[in-house]
Amino acid sequence: MTATTPPTGYSLQTRLLTAVSVLLAVFLGLTGVVLDRAFRSSVEAGVAEQLQVQLYVLLAAVEEDAGEFYFLEDLREPRFTQLNSGLYALVNTPQQEELLRSPSALERDFDGLFARWSALGRGDTYFSREVAADGEEYFIAAYGVVWENGQDQYDFVVLESTGTYLAEVNNFRASLWSWLGGVAILLLVLQVLLLHWGLSPLRRLAQDLQRIESGASEQLEGAYPRELSPVTANLNLLIKTERKQQARYRETLGDLAHSLKTPLAVIAGVMHGLGDSRNTAQATVSAEQRHTVDEQLERMNQIVGYQLQRAVKSTGSTTLSRRINVQETTARVLRALEKVYAQQPREIVCDIDPAIAFLGDERDLMEMLGNLLDNAFKYGRQWLSISARVSLAPARQLSLVVEDDGPGIPAQQQEFVLQRGARLDTLAPGQGIGLAVVTDIVGSYGGQIDVGTGSRGGARIQLVFGNFQLNAAEQPSS
Amino acid sequence: MRLLVVEDQSLLRQQLAQGLTRHGYVVDDAADGRAGLYFATEYSYDAAIIDLGLPLLDGISLIRQIRAQGRMFPILILTARGDWQDKVEGLDAGADDYVVKPFQLEEILARLNALLRRAAGFAKPLIEFGPIALDITAKRVTLAGQGVDLTAYEYKLIEYLMLHPGQVISKTELTEHLYAQDYDRDSNVLEVFVRRLRQKLDPDDTLHPIETIRGQGYRFRTDA
Repeated sequence: MTATTPPTGYSLQTRLLTAVSVLLAVFLGLTGVVLDRAFRSSVEAGVAEQLQVQLYVLLAAVEEDAGEFYFLEDLREPRFTQLNSGLYALVNTPQQEELLRSPSALERDFDGLFARWSALGRGDTYFSREVAADGEEYFIAAYGVVWENGQDQYDFVVLESTGTYLAEVNNFRASLWSWLGGVAILLLVLQVLLLHWGLSPLRRLAQDLQRIESGASEQLEGAYPRELSPVTANLNLLIKTERKQQARYRETLGDLAHSLKTPLAVIAGVMHGLGDSRNTAQATVSAEQRHTVDEQLERMNQIVGYQLQRAVKSTGSTTLSRRINVQETTARVLRALEKVYAQQPREIVCDIDPAIAFLGDERDLMEMLGNLLDNAFKYGRQWLSISARVSLAPARQLSLVVEDDGPGIPAQQQEFVLQRGARLDTLAPGQGIGLAVVTDIVGSYGGQIDVGTGSRGGARIQLVFGNFQLNAAEQPSS
Repeated sequence: MRLLVVEDQSLLRQQLAQGLTRHGYVVDDAADGRAGLYFATEYSYDAAIIDLGLPLLDGISLIRQIRAQGRMFPILILTARGDWQDKVEGLDAGADDYVVKPFQLEEILARLNALLRRAAGFAKPLIEFGPIALDITAKRVTLAGQGVDLTAYEYKLIEYLMLHPGQVISKTELTEHLYAQDYDRDSNVLEVFVRRLRQKLDPDDTLHPIETIRGQGYRFRTDA
């Protein structure tokens, strides 16, 4: 749960939406093309049939006399008689020599249209769609006829301009594609809604995990779909196990501390007893020897203390962290220290916005506050101050400042006190590992520690963190 | 001064008890939390030293229960882990100070002195009533600036009385806080010590610092 890889690729929702959109486009596109083709063929078949009828009309309306063709009065189809009506009739020789044309076709130029077929046999028909030299497009139906004398052969031709047909097809197309488009949009919207609904448990899972990470909740709660519940149950188990292990780890180390330090206390006590009896006959240890053993004991104690503190503090990652109210924790530590230092009352300034929460382990925060405030009590004279400031820009950071009015830390030693076991005033009680432990904890949270001189000449320690939260609406404190 | 020491590690417990006895305290010791609670409930103490890591009943629970019973004597906690959560929890539960293991006996003595003084309502190590002054750090009594030569028991008696000024202290209470449990309470030792103290602290018989309240006990006069 520690290593996180940056999110790559697209979200599940985007992937599914893209896939469905492509599928929908292909499906609807193909449907459109097939429907369009079917409609066109059906319209063309209709036109062919109509023109065939017109051919019969033409056959009935044409008479021949001494090689001359003429129309009978009654053409039955009025469009043959109206100029440029769109329906035209011709009678040609097999050599495409024109013998007769309907009145409607007087102004038409059919050049280039008739080369497409040759010598239609008796009763042969030809149907096609051709473009004339002038760019006009026609449906052409031709019919091979052997005249009554049994010798002469003619082609009866009917042409119809494709304009009407095209208009019909275009109308159909427009309405077809607009319907298909509408259906596509509707399906996409439905798909988005369905995906949103379908993926909502995953989103909730992510939010819940985030809440756990930010310390707002302890485990994944609520009902998840059957497919996810094994995952959430396992995650809960993992979180619980992790927490238990952390606790067990600490307990074990606490026990270890107890079992290491108690013998050290016994040895120190024995040394003390031996030292006391140095004036008697039992005196077996010189003051120098006693001093050496004391010194070594103190060193062992420091090493054990420092290493245990390091081990006991959390890894500092904000995973599985909790929201710790900084003001409340500070107040608890101050209350405890005021008790300890009751015989030296002093002015304590605590300026912390109650909305500030530290995201991490309470033990870590308490360890940092305890060490810093203990030093301020120990070295300060009459005054100490702790304040917390939050800034959101340019970077989100929480700054904790502890100041006192004591002798302060000389500039050349400010770096030194952050090192392990450093102790400027060997007379003051304590193990001298306080600031080093604070430095370690601050480091594990990716924070910074700064040692300087405060407004009243005493030590000023500033800790800066990024892992915090403002519980109310985020407003930087001034 | 009668102290209760609750520590599970027997060597350390013995060392503490011996060291404190050597420095004039009467010490009862217990090896686990339950025994500690029994002692704290049954007897009256001036202070207690309690280890946080105890079997049967942990130190913090023990302190809570002692406080819940209204016992207000100062409590010094011993902690091996030394982390602030333990210290703060212990102090929150009702302890008054802490010492991190390992420790020197002097550190315990210094903290105890400060706690006893604070419990008696004195901020400074020097407690003065008129010409009589008690320095509980140096374990010394002065009369008008001159050191008074006292035996260990005479000192214990005047220290206890001066730390409870104006209060009537019964002979039973004095006996309990000055001697080990099995002391024969019918003897006249207390009367002898009080008479000697009166002679040493009030040679001219003008101050009358220790009053005898008939049938009840003794009282150190605050206007001495």
